[in-house]
Amino acid sequence: MLICTVTLLSFYGLIAFNGQGADLELLSDSYFHSILIFSIKQALLSALISTVLAWPIARAIYYYPNLLFKRAFLSLALLCFVLPTLVLITGFVSLLGRSGIITPLLGPDWNLYGLHGILLAHVYMNLPFAIRAFHAQLQNIPASSWMLASQLKLSGWQKIFLIEWPVLRANFNLTFGFIFILCFNSFAVVLALGGGPQSTTLEVAIYQALKYDFNIGEALTLAWSQLLIAGTFFVLLYRSNSVSWLSKDTRGDYQLPCSSSWQKIRYGLLYSCTLIFMLTPLLALLPGVFAADYSRSIIGNILEALSLTLVLGIICASVAIALAYAIMLPIRQSILQGKTRKTLVLQWLANHSLIAPAMVLSVGLYILFLPLIDLDSVGMIFVVILNIMMVLPFAIQQIRARLLQYDSDYAVLSQSLKLSTRQKLSIEWHYSKSVFFSTFALVIMLAMGDVAIFSIFGSDQLKTLPWLIYQYAGSYKINEASLASAVLLLLYATLLFNLERAKQHA
Amino acid sequence: MKKLIPLCLAVLISSSAVAADTSKTVLQVYTYDSFVSDWGPGPKIKAAFEQECSCTLKFIAEEDGISILNRLKIEGTKAKADVILGLDHALISEAKKTGLIATHQQNFANLKPSLNWSDDSFVPYDFGYFAFIYDSTKIDTPVTSLKELVNSDASIIYQDPRTSTVGQGLMFWINAVYPNQTSAAWKSLASHTVTVTKGWYEGYSMFLKGGSDYVLSYTTSPAYHLITESESKYKAADFSEGHIAQIEVAAALNTSKHPQLAQDFLRFLISDQAQKILPVTNWMLPVIKDVPLDAAFTQLITPSPINMDIEQLSAQRKAMIKVWRSSAVK
Repeated sequence: MLICTVTLLSFYGLIAFNGQGADLELLSDSYFHSILIFSIKQALLSALISTVLAWPIARAIYYYPNLLFKRAFLSLALLCFVLPTLVLITGFVSLLGRSGIITPLLGPDWNLYGLHGILLAHVYMNLPFAIRAFHAQLQNIPASSWMLASQLKLSGWQKIFLIEWPVLRANFNLTFGFIFILCFNSFAVVLALGGGPQSTTLEVAIYQALKYDFNIGEALTLAWSQLLIAGTFFVLLYRSNSVSWLSKDTRGDYQLPCSSSWQKIRYGLLYSCTLIFMLTPLLALLPGVFAADYSRSIIGNILEALSLTLVLGIICASVAIALAYAIMLPIRQSILQGKTRKTLVLQWLANHSLIAPAMVLSVGLYILFLPLIDLDSVGMIFVVILNIMMVLPFAIQQIRARLLQYDSDYAVLSQSLKLSTRQKLSIEWHYSKSVFFSTFALVIMLAMGDVAIFSIFGSDQLKTLPWLIYQYAGSYKINEASLASAVLLLLYATLLFNLERAKQHA
Repeated sequence: MKKLIPLCLAVLISSSAVAADTSKTVLQVYTYDSFVSDWGPGPKIKAAFEQECSCTLKFIAEEDGISILNRLKIEGTKAKADVILGLDHALISEAKKTGLIATHQQNFANLKPSLNWSDDSFVPYDFGYFAFIYDSTKIDTPVTSLKELVNSDASIIYQDPRTSTVGQGLMFWINAVYPNQTSAAWKSLASHTVTVTKGWYEGYSMFLKGGSDYVLSYTTSPAYHLITESESKYKAADFSEGHIAQIEVAAALNTSKHPQLAQDFLRFLISDQAQKILPVTNWMLPVIKDVPLDAAFTQLITPSPINMDIEQLSAQRKAMIKVWRSSAVK
């Protein structure tokens, strides 16, 4: 399989570069210990805050189904999760940076750079994700449970522990673990808001070892550490199951216990606060957009980066979906034939790139190919290949259920009807069209937001929009960064709108 | 979907074909971003040099001086540049280790004797003294020594010594003032550091937006505000321990396909014409004798230099960085 080759190559690169091995001395360096501790600390805190806060908010949305803009709220939650982090960082800097809009209210000790900023950004991205996951899970509570609860006259706390918690428990751990891994592997947020060496994670330290120091030995040690930790966590998580956070709300007829008006007010307040929290950093882009310098060179830069981003995104998403479909073929075959073990192995192989963080794979390939070819001119090809690998598991996860369902409903029938391959494909296409479109939208959003891979393989001549935003924000051109961010935000909102619509029609 | 593929290919091809004037030789120069910015020396140097060389001068910008060296190490013999511009004298021996640096054919008769320059590969093009800049309308009594700054609680921004020659300058400075307690000094500094930026430009821009009380820059930085903005509030703090000097240098690469043109450019850098441009665009001091300077330069502090053994410093650079990165973690 192609993807496995890429992974193997990058690991080969990680094992040996011109015979120069990993720098094991680093393992006893206090610098290494402090970044390791910081990486874990920030990821744990981010995951804890996100999940604990998400719980009451998910309950509020669940118990108060007639909330204003609820559908928009859930879409916004998805947007927060897939939004390129740099858009968000720009928003935060113009809100809470040194000369930010809210900064004067926060007292003289406030500093966005460091743990504060990192946590804020991580919670912003992952809290909505957790809300969606919990909300979807709560909707799985059967109406009969609530009827039983009202017959038994259970108190509020009893309801939480006897009805909600059993449904949520598995999901709670899973969501926590998933957010932990995402934050542990977080790159752009820490690079932009870490404030130099004060708050560095392993992922950023790999990048710095390679690009700041050109210290390959250290980069290797760091990459292996990152891989071991993220990999272990992922395997633990993978054994438990997958999070169904994108599931559409199918059951419109669920019956809810009545809420008192006091509860309704509380739920409403909680909901509004969350909505404000989610909207403010995005709205904070507006002053910059109005104040931006609309000179020809800046508009040109943005448009050029936008078209490159779109092209990269379209290529990555198309190839990833085609590959996902191709990979699903043997898996579907083995399921139809009832070979469980083979199915498991194939699925694991298909998803294996989730374990290795983008940065680790990029560094491996970079080190391997550096002495062999002119990476400056073909770097874009690597950006495309690696991004495809990164989004592939998501693509598979998205189309998998639909294709398997098709098989279980129609495979036998279409076999007995002796349809031609062409006819079969056309039926399959009609059956799963909407899923393919929504997957395309999701995958293109994930691919276009990449910064980590681009930071290693990208070039100065061709910049993606997220990288351009990073450079604008880096040189403190907040207005220009806001403008570029707003363009990207608009693009994502459009894609997301179509994704949600495709899901509703599914 | 099918229509998209040819479209994608078309965009990729057209965007990768960077439009270039093929009729003239192109001399490519790796430098740092503030050098090529609209207000930096880049555009003026380019215009003046292109007039006499009938070539195209192309700058490729990195974030700061050390990034240029890192890029060189990463690219090795595949480096695109003919000339590198923006390393400083402390990086010379490390740069030479790449084996990519060509010897120059320049005559240094016109250089200021105080520079005492005799390197066979690198050409100095300007120099300055590192200093912390503050806004005098916000700070009435500035700190008067590095020790006072380290022990204060004033917020500061400085640059990463792994990427920026300015940050590297602070590293030498701290090591000179605290030869035995370097780690403790970094820790104390970290407790009131807002952020450590990758390059000088990033940090200085942030300071100008009110990002901190002090920012690491040069004694000559206030001249920029005086001359281009008639703004006198930005001042350099004069430190009693003395200031570290920085000599910025350029060199040709031996992989260059236009070695003669590269030498011409190095010669141009120490010509009267270029030396008049640099002080009022790169805001550093000229390296040759008798360059008339704007009156604003007389208002600057005249720091007492700290004498340093550059060879020894460059040898210790890696060890110093290790101490810094372990100590600057909060």
